[in-house]
Amino acid sequence: MRPYLSVLTGLLVALAPAYAQEKPAQHARVELISQQSSIAAGTDALLGVHFVLDSGWHIYWVNPGDSGQPPSFKWNVPAGFSADEVQWPRPERMQAIKELADFGYHNDVLLPLTLHVPASAKSSEEVAADAKWLVCREVCIPEHKQLQLTLPVAAKAQLNPSTAGLFANTKKLLPKPLPHGWKTKVISTKDDFVLSITGTRQIAKAEFFPLDPGQIDNPSPQKAQPSGTGITVTLKKSDLLVKPINVLRGVLVIPGNPPYQIEAPVHQPLQ
Amino acid sequence: MKNLRNLIVRAFVLLALVATMFAVKPGDPAPNFTVVDSNGKQQHLSDYKGKFVVLEWHNQGCPYTKKHYESGNMQQLQKEWTGKGVVWLTVISSAPGTQGFVTPSQENEYLKTMNASPTAVLMDIGGTVGHLYEAKTTPHMFVIDPNGTLIYNGAIDDHPTSDKGDIPNSKNYVSAALTAAMAGKPVSDAVTRPYGCSVKYKD
Repeated sequence: MRPYLSVLTGLLVALAPAYAQEKPAQHARVELISQQSSIAAGTDALLGVHFVLDSGWHIYWVNPGDSGQPPSFKWNVPAGFSADEVQWPRPERMQAIKELADFGYHNDVLLPLTLHVPASAKSSEEVAADAKWLVCREVCIPEHKQLQLTLPVAAKAQLNPSTAGLFANTKKLLPKPLPHGWKTKVISTKDDFVLSITGTRQIAKAEFFPLDPGQIDNPSPQKAQPSGTGITVTLKKSDLLVKPINVLRGVLVIPGNPPYQIEAPVHQPLQ
Repeated sequence: MKNLRNLIVRAFVLLALVATMFAVKPGDPAPNFTVVDSNGKQQHLSDYKGKFVVLEWHNQGCPYTKKHYESGNMQQLQKEWTGKGVVWLTVISSAPGTQGFVTPSQENEYLKTMNASPTAVLMDIGGTVGHLYEAKTTPHMFVIDPNGTLIYNGAIDDHPTSDKGDIPNSKNYVSAALTAAMAGKPVSDAVTRPYGCSVKYKD
């Protein structure tokens, strides 16, 4: 009995710090929510991870920029279900000092994701996720939480009136394909990527958020030059960029428009 | 001899240019600095010509720094590489009143508690060395070869998380750079994206 007891004590001692870390999140309240109060078998449902942050604190976009880390999720869904990756609303640029720029969210953000519900779904199903995120103000704190949601399954999906508004507002912040007929082009010069957007009329202002880290120099100001039918944005290349890239991916934010997905082929200039 | 002097003069001019114009890239001369360490001794990078030098940006309160110290990973790297003749300089660029700022005695106490053994800890209170190297995060690692050329600039490893559990599955870029360079081989990942907390410079 004795050896077992000491093993048990040892185990408890070893586990103690792990329990100490299980305390609830301090600077972010995080919840798994559904757009529907009931979901239907054999269809897709829209879920979302909702972050509500303490005033002044922020979390990070999928490309965090020069420091920080995006939230991550390990999904646990019932057999036959599958969860897509979360979608990322347009971020804001966060630059406290001139050498560093990060991308992320203040106040609150919803990261939506599609849940594929099989025809075999029972009357009530449970979805869970192990969520980890970094929340920062002047300092950064890693937080985590086990998220859980019970979803009633009905013949017909029902919109949840208490979350539908939040999902609808978030949808406006998700990057959309460029309008039909708009074109993008990137010219790679020695120091810059020159991104041209050709639409139907002059665009006065635009800001680019790079999806892939290490391609553009985040803290450098972006030079936006309106053109007759669009805009040209000059992005300084990152010092981390050691090989030429074929495509520049990111999100373009034009005031008054939805955020646009950019996936522009990069042309190397003729020498 | 004259040629050599010429070369040195040219190297210094180039160095000054590099230091003011660009971030330091692998292949560039590592800019020299003079800064006081936690024992009150003046440290000049130029004192270490002929040796490999590692620069480790540090903030003891940052979760990413904690990942590598609470796991013992950083101490193990310091021990291993200083044992092979490498000079390991831990740099603290946190401004007074910000996270990671410590007095020299607090830092020495921390080294003792953590069983850490860098060659020296540079008290870069004004952030001069940090700005010179454009150190972005804690940790942010640089490796300099015995000729004074920068051979690595970037992350400590390939798992940009604050999770200690990721360390055993990580490729350590600093060890990889030192191993390759000591064997006379080129460093395959000479530039990577550093990860961690932002360096807490004075605004």
